[in-house]
Amino acid sequence: MRIKNHPILGEFDKGRTVAFSYNGAPMTGCEGEPIAAALRANDVIIHRYTSKEHKPRGIFCAIGRCTDCVMIVNGKPNVRTCVTPLEEGMTVETQYGLLTQEEAEAKGAVL
Amino acid sequence: MAESNRRKAPEGEYVPKADDDLLICRCEEVSQGDIRRALHQGLRTMNEIKRETRLGMGLCQGQTCTRIARAFIARELGVAPGEVGLPTPRTPARPVPMTVIARDGIMDEAAGEGI
Amino acid sequence: MRRVELAVVGAGPAGLSAAIEAARHGVEVVVFDENQRPGGQLFKQIHKFFGSKEHRARERGFRIGEDLLKEARELNVTVELETVVSGIYDGLELVVTKNDRVEHLRANAVVIATGASENMIPFPGWTLPGVIGAGAAQTMCNLHGVKPGKNILMVGSGNVGVVVGLQLIQAGCSLEAVIDASPRVGGYGVHAAKIARTGVPFHLRHTIKEVYGKDRVEGAVIVEVDEKWQPVPGSEKDLKVDTVCMAVGLSPMYQLSKIAGCETVEDPSRGGVVPICDEYGATTVPGIYVAGDVSGIEEASSAMIGGKIAGASAALKQGYLAQDVFEERYAAFRKSLEQLRQGQFGHGMKGKKITHTQEGIEVSESLLCRGFVDESEILRFPGIPSEEIRMRGLTPVIECTQNIPCDPCREACVKGCIRIGESITDLPSLSKEVQCTGCGMCVAACPGQAIFLLNQNYSDGEALVVLPYEFQPLPEAGDEGTACDRSGNPVGKAKVLKVQKAKTMDGTAVLSMIVPRELAMTARFFRPSGSEERRA
Repeated sequence: MRIKNHPILGEFDKGRTVAFSYNGAPMTGCEGEPIAAALRANDVIIHRYTSKEHKPRGIFCAIGRCTDCVMIVNGKPNVRTCVTPLEEGMTVETQYGLLTQEEAEAKGAVL
Repeated sequence: MAESNRRKAPEGEYVPKADDDLLICRCEEVSQGDIRRALHQGLRTMNEIKRETRLGMGLCQGQTCTRIARAFIARELGVAPGEVGLPTPRTPARPVPMTVIARDGIMDEAAGEGI
Repeated sequence: MRRVELAVVGAGPAGLSAAIEAARHGVEVVVFDENQRPGGQLFKQIHKFFGSKEHRARERGFRIGEDLLKEARELNVTVELETVVSGIYDGLELVVTKNDRVEHLRANAVVIATGASENMIPFPGWTLPGVIGAGAAQTMCNLHGVKPGKNILMVGSGNVGVVVGLQLIQAGCSLEAVIDASPRVGGYGVHAAKIARTGVPFHLRHTIKEVYGKDRVEGAVIVEVDEKWQPVPGSEKDLKVDTVCMAVGLSPMYQLSKIAGCETVEDPSRGGVVPICDEYGATTVPGIYVAGDVSGIEEASSAMIGGKIAGASAALKQGYLAQDVFEERYAAFRKSLEQLRQGQFGHGMKGKKITHTQEGIEVSESLLCRGFVDESEILRFPGIPSEEIRMRGLTPVIECTQNIPCDPCREACVKGCIRIGESITDLPSLSKEVQCTGCGMCVAACPGQAIFLLNQNYSDGEALVVLPYEFQPLPEAGDEGTACDRSGNPVGKAKVLKVQKAKTMDGTAVLSMIVPRELAMTARFFRPSGSEERRA
């Protein structure tokens, strides 16, 4: 999903490649880019499940306004991944409302 | 708001509609049905419905849903959007963690001056 | 509590311009912005702007953004990033949060330039991952270099929809369609035409019925609407897309001004609820000014002028600017602003049906309904040379058919071939003595990419068509491919003669292709062979 050679912008000046984990699985992204961009480049588009209806959500506004893309980053919930820069070794996890993954599954979240 | 003076007591049970499930407020997951129920109870203005349903009180602070909800409520009531008013915007205009607000005065005191 | 002379909220085009103007007169300025980078939405704007030279026409938005930042730095404007102005109390006391700390500060004057937020429309499935705002698509593509999706449906044909649509194609995404519930394309026709000729269909009078998918977008069903905006049964179309982009308008972010006590008014012509302000940007709270989209949705060019007016007003208030100097500057800003507000997309024109241009020429119906000027309509516009001139040698063919405030083409031609009347919104025409050297500068300069060069008598039976090209991979001389018409339909074979690139063309390549002579007024796009034929 990364744009290789853009007709106007040429090559994107991205940071070095760093490793991070997504729900425990190893992934790589560019240092300093939003976590959401790194996830999209890895074909991850579900960021969280909502707390009431347990429905999936992903990027919506991409500028930190709508907060649909929040995830648990380094153990801290409600982190807006579209405006939070990726760092080496980050742990990024799907957020299940106020529940754990198991509880959400029991409530019927589509997983 | 003239509309709030014209509220009526609910007449009978709320009758669900086919598109009640459609979400209007994404953050707080407030659906058309939730708003219709609030209207059925006699609530009329954006502020009243906000307090009843938490419409627009989520992390995005009504950024996305205010316009949609106003149009929907106006349509349901058969009035102009202006009639249902606007939710009162309040400080903080953006989400700020409670700990940060709580620390505000304490830090001032400890430091003996503003930061 | 610290005291500042001028606090600006928002480091977008309006806020930065206000800061620069005030600082120029000696005001000490602090700009607050919640983002990590300043510039607001300017750095996502990779298209060339309209207007005239003083509005920085034909320059790409992100370059304008770079220059604004440089200017602000040179004038010692402080820009505090990742800083949220969460409230304004008692006139001019600001509550500012940065790094999880709250600061209170007192300002002599405040410019609120918080911009706008995107409108959205709810439909079944609109919360599925893959349904995004057009701004999000632009952010992903142009700032982060990541495609938001592969196959995309654009909802909304206003300028945001058609501009972002083109940018998605430039990023390598497949734009499957542009839909709009309105019967007419809302944005500039020239923007729509750029994507129409790549083969993207416009479905006007269509709305989105639902987006479906298990846990992400797998497709979208669109449906035609009748005159009363009601769905027409049986007109559903299923589009296999993984992304749906919403470009259905913007709303001014008036909330902070309201918290500050500014009176607001609902004004549909300005995009919704806006703080009440006078022509100097002054709100009903003394010392608080507004500029940019928060005071009414317009283009970035207008926002920058509005910013300058507010900045000058704040300087005047504090005695940094003499009244007569202020009046002089204000008059110049006002004149510049009025220019941008002219024409059929200008102030007070929203929702009005235009049947004729200001020259009295019947408008192109096809442009409004299908996104491109039909060949049968193009000849009546003043930028189209007669067949005699087209057969005589190379000549510009200016397919500019709407009264838009824009004039870079006039200056681009060193030979003075291109003329625009008194008003900046007049349609360009060709001087009687066309002396086209084929430099291609007008082709590259036109922000609407509506200028072509044509030699209908290139060789026996062949015509030469020169067109702007902003896609990758860039064709090379000798490449063979397909000539497409204004709707993207393949119409014949084409061979690339040359591809000009120059620094002054700023990323717009000028591609010369040889086509059969009978396609001279038909062929307006080159599709390299091997690339997917959308409507085969």
